[in-house]
Amino acid sequence: MDLIFNSLPLLARGTLTTLYLSAGAIVLATALGVVLALLQLYGGFILRALVEVYLYVVRGVPLLVLLFAMYYALPYANVQIEPITGGIAVIGLYFGAFMTEVVRAAVLSVPRGQWEAARAVGLTTPRILLDVVLMQAVRMAGPPFVNTCIMVVKGTSLVAIIGLADVTYVGKQIVERTLAPFEIFGAVALVYFVICFGLSRLGQYFERRLNYVH
Amino acid sequence: MIDFSFLARVAPTLAEGLATTVLLAVPAILLSAAWGAVVVMGLLARSRVLAAVTRGYVEAVRNTPVLVQMFFIFFGSGYAGYPISGFTAGLIALVVQNGAYAAEIYRGGIRAVAHRLAEAGLALGLTPRRAFRIIVLPIAIRNVIPPLSNQGVLIIKDTSLVATISVAEMTFHARLLADRTAAVFEIFFTLALFYLLLTALFTGAMRLLERRVRIT
Repeated sequence: MDLIFNSLPLLARGTLTTLYLSAGAIVLATALGVVLALLQLYGGFILRALVEVYLYVVRGVPLLVLLFAMYYALPYANVQIEPITGGIAVIGLYFGAFMTEVVRAAVLSVPRGQWEAARAVGLTTPRILLDVVLMQAVRMAGPPFVNTCIMVVKGTSLVAIIGLADVTYVGKQIVERTLAPFEIFGAVALVYFVICFGLSRLGQYFERRLNYVH
Repeated sequence: MIDFSFLARVAPTLAEGLATTVLLAVPAILLSAAWGAVVVMGLLARSRVLAAVTRGYVEAVRNTPVLVQMFFIFFGSGYAGYPISGFTAGLIALVVQNGAYAAEIYRGGIRAVAHRLAEAGLALGLTPRRAFRIIVLPIAIRNVIPPLSNQGVLIIKDTSLVATISVAEMTFHARLLADRTAAVFEIFFTLALFYLLLTALFTGAMRLLERRVRIT
């Protein structure tokens, strides 16, 4: 018990890093997901092909490999960015592909008839996209969006491997000194559980608030 | 243009790890699919207690990273006096995590089967058990192949994590190579190609399976 108590300040600092990484990566992944999904659905041939290639690569390559590539390759490429920014970038780019799927499925779930109806009352294409399609898609996307956010939070644990001091990294450091793997990794797991379970509860709340249609 | 001769230099080293990656991925996928079938029985159990306990397990593993689970099992087993290899710890963590996801996939696949089909079976005089086995299950199995295939790809990719508990699979070898040489772009490019190849082979096989069992 003493052990956990003494480790709390360190774990708390790691948790902050995890939260910061998660928030940044979720924002980036969501923005990317919306843009890529719209390009994939409405873009020209070349843009669509580029998006497909991107999705194919990200779907087939582990996040850890992309993180290593960033970690090892950036110094050679003479790019100097904060490791944590690099982490957010890679995780965001990776889960951007998953978000693209989420947004695409949601947009496609809006019936075609709504496009025609919107056009019939004289709305322009951007207006239809924003006011009619995306507004409804947001509601459809709720649960898969939250699931992907949970995957992002869990995915941030991989930055521990490239030496960023998130809660997993801090936990491993403490275990190496104290030899109490059950207590410490249990506490680390609990941190993730609270964040992820909180996210899914939040998602359910918004789903209920937004679903006045059905 | 880009010089692809490095492929010939990097590939043999990575190929050493390829066998380990495959040897880990195949049982991880098969055991996850099997363990998921056990877990879904718990989720759908008539006993409230069993269903609640299973739900607790599923939520616990789905909301925590598989990497932390690997550390927990690997370092924990050593501390408890029953040290297990990184390979075994990784395999257990992958199955514990992905079995829960597989169970949710099965649950969705069963729920997606139209209720009136089972009712029709009951009306014909089948027992509920038989109606489930010969009407619901065959359709549900076809429903779950695409999402299971996606999960399998995630498992293949997650096998890279065992590199951190000193299992010499592909990513581990790539990292050793990157530490020793300056050809990091080439190394990770080749490594990514290897993973793309593995996942493409797997999804291809799953698509064949899907086509074979399709009801026309």
